[in-house]
Amino acid sequence: MKNKKSIEEQIDRILEIGNSIDDVKASPFFKEKMMNRLFEESSQEENLIFPWFTPRLQLASLVCVIALNIFAFTNLDSTSYDDSINEFAESYGLLATEETSLFD
Amino acid sequence: MSEENFIDDLKKGHRNAFAQLIDDYQDKVFGKCLSFVPNKEDAEDIAQEVFVEVFKSIKKFKGNSTLSTWIYRITTNKCLEFIRKKNTKKRFAFLQSLFGNEVPLDRTSYFTEFKHPGILLENQEDAEVLYSAIDRLPEDQRVAFTLHKIEGLSYKEISEITEKSIPSIESLLFRAKKNLQKLLLDFYKNNYE
Repeated sequence: MKNKKSIEEQIDRILEIGNSIDDVKASPFFKEKMMNRLFEESSQEENLIFPWFTPRLQLASLVCVIALNIFAFTNLDSTSYDDSINEFAESYGLLATEETSLFD
Repeated sequence: MSEENFIDDLKKGHRNAFAQLIDDYQDKVFGKCLSFVPNKEDAEDIAQEVFVEVFKSIKKFKGNSTLSTWIYRITTNKCLEFIRKKNTKKRFAFLQSLFGNEVPLDRTSYFTEFKHPGILLENQEDAEVLYSAIDRLPEDQRVAFTLHKIEGLSYKEISEITEKSIPSIESLLFRAKKNLQKLLLDFYKNNYE
C-alpha cells in the first residue's frame, strides 16, 4: 500500500514525463511516400474529362432527371397518349383500317 | 530564399518547394502528432494528412501567421479530429452522460495502442497512465497541456497556434493540471489502496 505522499510524488513525476521524451524522426520513406501521394493525386485530378462537373453538380443533375421522370410519369394520361398516337398514325397513314389490300 | 518567395513557390505548386517543405517539417509534424496520438503508425498517417491539407490549402494561406504556426495549427486540428473519431468509436459516451456515471481512469479504454518510440521503456507505464488521463480532459485543456508539457512549446507559441490569449492559455494549463492531478490521484487510490 502506498501512502499519500508517495502517490503525490508519483503524480508530480508523471506530470513532468514530457521532459524525458526523446525527439523522434519520421520514417526515412516518409518524404518519398508523401511526394508520390501529393503529385499523383493532383495529376489524377487534372486528368478528369469534365473537371467542372463536380459531385454537387452531378447530384443536382441526378435530382433533376429523377424529378422530370416523376413529373412525366404522374402527368401521363393514357387516353391522351392513345389519342396522340392515333392522330400521329392517321397523319402518316399508318392506321391498319386505312390500309388497302391488294385483294380488295 | 525568403519565406515569402518560398510560400509563392508552394502556391504555384512547385514540386521542389514541397520537397523542401517536407524536408523541413516532416520530423516536427510527426513529433507533434505523436505528442497527441502516441502510436507510430497513427501519427504517421495523421502527418500525411497534414501535408495533404497543406498542399490543398496553401493557396488560402494569407500570411497572418508564420508558415510554421499555420502548419502546426493544421497538425493540432488533424490530431484532434483523429482522436474525436477514435473516441466516438471506442466509448459509449452517450450512455455515460445519460446515467451520469463517472467512468474511472482505465488504460484499456484508450483510443489507440500505446506505441511511442520516444518514450523510454522504464517510463512506458507512467506515460500510458498520463496519456489516458489527458484523454479525459476537455479538448482545449488537452491541447494546452500537450503542447506545453509534452511538446515543450512556450505560452506564446501555444497562443499563436490556438489563437487564444496568453492569460487564457495560462488558465487552461492551470485547470488541466488540477484535473490531471485529481484523475491520477483517483487512479492510484483505486489501484494501490
